[in-house]
Amino acid sequence: MPVQIWEVTAFTIAVALAATLATSVPAVLLAWVLARRTFPGKALVETLASLPLVMPPVATGLLLLWAVGRRSAFGRALESAGIDVIFTWKAVVLAMAVMGFPLLVRTARAGFEQVNRRYEAMAATLGASPSRIFLTVSLPLASRSVVAGALLAFSRALGEFGATVMVAGSIPGRTLTLPVAIYSLAETGHDRAAGQLMLVSVAIAFAAVAAANRLQSSGR
Amino acid sequence: MTRLARIAAAVAVALAGAARAPAVPAAVAGDEVVVSAASSLTDLLREIAPDCERTTGVRVRLNLGGSNALARQIVNGAPADIFLSADAAQMDVVERAGLVEPGTRRDWLANQLAVIVRGSGIPVSGPRDLLDRRVRRIAVGDPAAVPSGVYARAYLERHQLWPVLQDRLVPFATVRGALAAVASGDADAGIVFATDARVATVRLAFVVPRDAGPRIVYPMALVRGRATPAARKVFDYLRSEAARAACERFGFIPLDGSRR
Repeated sequence: MPVQIWEVTAFTIAVALAATLATSVPAVLLAWVLARRTFPGKALVETLASLPLVMPPVATGLLLLWAVGRRSAFGRALESAGIDVIFTWKAVVLAMAVMGFPLLVRTARAGFEQVNRRYEAMAATLGASPSRIFLTVSLPLASRSVVAGALLAFSRALGEFGATVMVAGSIPGRTLTLPVAIYSLAETGHDRAAGQLMLVSVAIAFAAVAAANRLQSSGR
Repeated sequence: MTRLARIAAAVAVALAGAARAPAVPAAVAGDEVVVSAASSLTDLLREIAPDCERTTGVRVRLNLGGSNALARQIVNGAPADIFLSADAAQMDVVERAGLVEPGTRRDWLANQLAVIVRGSGIPVSGPRDLLDRRVRRIAVGDPAAVPSGVYARAYLERHQLWPVLQDRLVPFATVRGALAAVASGDADAGIVFATDARVATVRLAFVVPRDAGPRIVYPMALVRGRATPAARKVFDYLRSEAARAACERFGFIPLDGSRR
């Protein structure tokens, strides 16, 4: 067996979870700001936040490679601080987080926009601070959208290929994720193992869709 | 809506028609030859392709990639006419699938491995220097199948370095991917072919002497059922004196071509 199926699967789920968690706080905050505030340059921020969704993933990967690779000052600074990113699991998380970010922002933003502003206004007249309003009124009311967005970002992360191969490569046991493993197994003639991993991805996708459906119907 | 539907229908009809018509009219189909070649042959083939086209009057299309990927493509029915592999194993894959035109397989070129390092100075002059802890990432072709990686593994195993260095290897889909990772500085060292080390801005640490590394042979063959006169012309050109001279200029060692 050229790769350990469970090792690859567990690793992929773990890094996808880490990426979703890492991206959730900034993404939800940005979604809230975009839904509730107007400021100069808002259109630019909206566009930038959506770019990874529409750019070719390898192009995003190339940007990330240039940003954290040794060619950039930032990459060299990271390295001298003892933080290795490129070709490590951190690079996988980075690629997955960037690719999932716009999905979470857009879905959560739609959720915040549906929250009736009167509840927020009422909380404000009762003396609640903006952060308290966000945490106790807006976020709970938009929670289903936030969770749905996180689920989307997580699913996107599970399937991430283009950006991952650029910044993280395909090192067995280190950076090898499900989609990349399927590709390299098929390329190296291990069709059987590739097929097994394909079945695993089908099973995970099935579970994710079922969970999402359940989430939606239980809310109604 | 109806207008959109009409446009969609027109496009569908046009596509269906295009799918039925042969992509290339039969009369000129033989004038273009697809050469699927190991990525380490990139610069050599780009250099000799114009002369080959002038000499043979045949248009040459290069399909470059990892030999393992190319072999899979051919086995899955890709329209390649000539296969130039960087190792015997991948040619064997094609041959086992019954896709080598009988009697056309030849050992074409020989090559050597080289160890390269990125710009700034980690002193590496022999295999054991790769153990230096500053050599954290070593770019190689995927040792599972990409020929340069398979050779690199054999080389490291021969020097009992495989178990220790395995963890530092970063596998790439082609030898050129590994080369680029060292050129960009993202990998500290790389094991590539000696011919690759000449074409990039990397530092050559050392060339593995022929008797200290695996035997590296590039087989060539015509793909079964595609041995058209045009394909044969290109195949013969690749073994001509002119092509051999170019191979030598790029650091390859032309083999006599009659043996397997």
